[in-house]
Amino acid sequence: MTYSARTIFRFATPLVVFGAVLAALTLVNRFDAAAPVVPAPAAVGGAVADRAGGDRLQELQRAIAARPDDAAAYAALGEAFLQRARETGDPGWYARAGRAFAAGLRRDPRDLGALLGAGTLANLRHDFRAGLRLGEAAHRAEPALARPYVVLADAQIELGRYRAALVSVQRLVDLKPGLASYARASYFRELSGDRAGAVAAMRLAVSAGGTAESVAYVQVLLGDLELGRGRVGAARDAYRAALAAVPDYPQALAGLARAAVAGGDLRGAAARLRRSVARLPLTTNLTLLADVELAAGRHAAGLAQLAVVRAQRRLLAAAGAVPDAEAVLFEADHGRPTRAVTLGRRVWRSAPSVRSADALGWALTRAGRPLDGLRWAHRALRLGSLDPLFRYHAGIAAQAVGASAEAARDLRIAVTGRGALSPLAVRRLEEALR
Amino acid sequence: MRKLLIALAAVAAAAIAVTVAVGSSHREAPGTMLDPSADDTDLYAFTAKDAPGSLTVVGNWIPGQNPANGPNFFRFDDRARYYINVDNPGDGRRDIAYRFQFTTSVRNPNSFLYALPGASGYDDPKLNVRQTYSITRLTYAYRGRRVHVRERVLARGLPVAPPNIGPKTFPNYQAFVNGAVRNLSDGTKVFVGQRDDPFFVDLGATFDAINVRRLTGNQGEGKDDFSGMNISSIVLQLPERRVTKDGKAVAGPDAANAVVGVYQSTERRRLEVSDRAGIAKHRKRHRSHASGGAGRWVQVSRLGNPLVNEVVIPLGKKDQFNRTSPDRDAALYGTYVLKPELAAVLNALFRIGAPEDNRTDIVQALLQGIPRLNQHAGIRGPPAVDTLKINLGVPPAATENRFGVIGGDVAGFPNGRRLGDDVVDIELQVVAGFLKGNRVPLGDGVDRNDKDFLSSFPYVAAPDSGFDSAPSRRVEPSHPPVGAGGS
Repeated sequence: MTYSARTIFRFATPLVVFGAVLAALTLVNRFDAAAPVVPAPAAVGGAVADRAGGDRLQELQRAIAARPDDAAAYAALGEAFLQRARETGDPGWYARAGRAFAAGLRRDPRDLGALLGAGTLANLRHDFRAGLRLGEAAHRAEPALARPYVVLADAQIELGRYRAALVSVQRLVDLKPGLASYARASYFRELSGDRAGAVAAMRLAVSAGGTAESVAYVQVLLGDLELGRGRVGAARDAYRAALAAVPDYPQALAGLARAAVAGGDLRGAAARLRRSVARLPLTTNLTLLADVELAAGRHAAGLAQLAVVRAQRRLLAAAGAVPDAEAVLFEADHGRPTRAVTLGRRVWRSAPSVRSADALGWALTRAGRPLDGLRWAHRALRLGSLDPLFRYHAGIAAQAVGASAEAARDLRIAVTGRGALSPLAVRRLEEALR
Repeated sequence: MRKLLIALAAVAAAAIAVTVAVGSSHREAPGTMLDPSADDTDLYAFTAKDAPGSLTVVGNWIPGQNPANGPNFFRFDDRARYYINVDNPGDGRRDIAYRFQFTTSVRNPNSFLYALPGASGYDDPKLNVRQTYSITRLTYAYRGRRVHVRERVLARGLPVAPPNIGPKTFPNYQAFVNGAVRNLSDGTKVFVGQRDDPFFVDLGATFDAINVRRLTGNQGEGKDDFSGMNISSIVLQLPERRVTKDGKAVAGPDAANAVVGVYQSTERRRLEVSDRAGIAKHRKRHRSHASGGAGRWVQVSRLGNPLVNEVVIPLGKKDQFNRTSPDRDAALYGTYVLKPELAAVLNALFRIGAPEDNRTDIVQALLQGIPRLNQHAGIRGPPAVDTLKINLGVPPAATENRFGVIGGDVAGFPNGRRLGDDVVDIELQVVAGFLKGNRVPLGDGVDRNDKDFLSSFPYVAAPDSGFDSAPSRRVEPSHPPVGAGGS
């Protein structure tokens, strides 16, 4: 799901955001009093941060004071702010980074560092059209450089421009094989249904390594890929490796929870998810926790978690945030499907990717329009994705319109990767297969 | 009240975390291009006092090893290839290369512990993670545009000295070091493993627009950002006959085979991203598809002289620099050396009258070699290539001067580079115009490494252990001003 941070800053005073999240957290903590509230993982800084020591920000600010017209100095400061955002989880650094990049671009609209920084930030805030524009500008400024392709590829994939994205990712791998490029190659392979290839590329990313947090991140992606093709043991190994890199890494805890669900251990799954959301209350994991509680027959706890998610979404929406595919799926499964359809169309317009198509299709199916739902499911599968979630959505829609051969095929694919699905989806899937 | 405030602060911290996490939950791979496992940081080439007939090379990789951060990340990538390259006629193409490839094995795959307490040696089952390497010698024969490569594996399964976790895990760390020093049958000596980072610089001051803490940086008081930080070293001691162009030992500094150039590099594999969906079917095949198949190796970093990549090569050209071979340096990057941005910056900051144009003196000192010292013999108008050039016939100095050649000590940088050479001060002074008579006593205020180097192989100081580490703490004591070139 997503509420873009940019819109939050544009429309909401920090007080509103703070109040919103405070409210959500109060709800979380009521049901999980034992879990300590801890800030985001103190990441091991990059080599540059480590080399420069803690007072790098001050030194960069002094550098700007010494050369107030130097666009590159502002870009370097913005990069340092982005690094701080990664380390602390404080989005205030995003706003500061945005201002620094803007100041750099005002001084030199072609400054490479400022273009790359602003493009990276735009993608982080899910403004993919701005990301694309800035990535293109950076690429034009320095055609021999690899990094503009990172900004370009991320934007192109989310905007559904896969032909262009393939070229960008290939150029990126050709120019600079490493964690960032291998991980993107893996994602592209996954989208086009090459799961073995996706795993192989992600293993290269893991081996190449980087900062602790990026290693943990690609280990989790590897685990998710393994789960999606039914290899629960391999998935568990990857999540554990992520936890070895960054203790209590929330996404890895959630991954282990999903592996536990796949093994039928709902209690163990719930415990891990509670730890994960106490560490970082990601909406995805709160939703999964709700589903797990409900499946375990703990209805009160499940409904309470759903209320937390609703509160989080409502408050962030009130703060002007823009939803994404995950918000659509939540509304379709746990809210009002007709509203999910409206939301889905909005999401599709801003990010016309296969993921957005899948979400809109599922909203239509849930709203009682499976024929339309199937049409969108086909768009979601147009690259050949074997994503269990996409296949589950397509299979249910196909079954509802009586396309039984197609339904059987998609549901079979989905059931292989059931570990990647929520208990709710698995239950529906099993009912559909009976 | 106080307690409540603390509680609120904790909630605020987590609240903040929520919004960032929520704002970035779409599927995204890390954007960082930081690639420490392929990052070559510093190269040293010198004649060691205890090994006068050999070239000693130290190649360092994987920067930022804060010993306290745990041992798991400071590892050579098993899927990359690491090189020490030798160019002996001086044309910028490698003629001999030593390739290192690594294999990591984990004894107990269910444990993420690097080692159990009391691990005593490579065969001790308490050592859970073991990395070994093979070393291959490659020789290149160039015929026109074709190159013929011969490969010979010199050894396999040699142990990498592990990160120094602490005295409880490794009560006798030196045993691992001793076990990692290996003598090969051709007289080559090799060590691979963690060491203290021998580089020393006040990075904050240097990269903060040369904001030296006490002008002009020649009176100490600099803060060494690398003190207490570790690095992964490959140390090679090669008999002269293994690196000279005629395969013979060097008779003296004037011998025709006396000068060799050295650079280090790293390669990773490319791959075919995939096109199962056939979405590029009707499109002209992309150039990359034609220019190299899946699995082709791509050079992702290289290094010869210190700080060339950091200071000379502009941001937009760094990837290209890392991909290309030194033989194209003059054509691709010559202009950045001839008209160095750093000279302009120094003038803007300190008004020291550094020449800003036509800096052939820098090209010669760093890239062509100094005539009758480390310029390759028998090559007319020596090409400008970023290799570390050393005259093997120059005997090691009895007492080393940290300013090397500009301090009158011809056995030091830029004639090769010793571990103690103060390359930051030297390069600042050279860019300020030392070789053109503009002698400005610039420096970063750090004069030496925080640890003493060893008098015998592998020369680089032992790494700090994770248990008692204190990174970035050493401050150079204040001292009377030192003149340009140490005068």
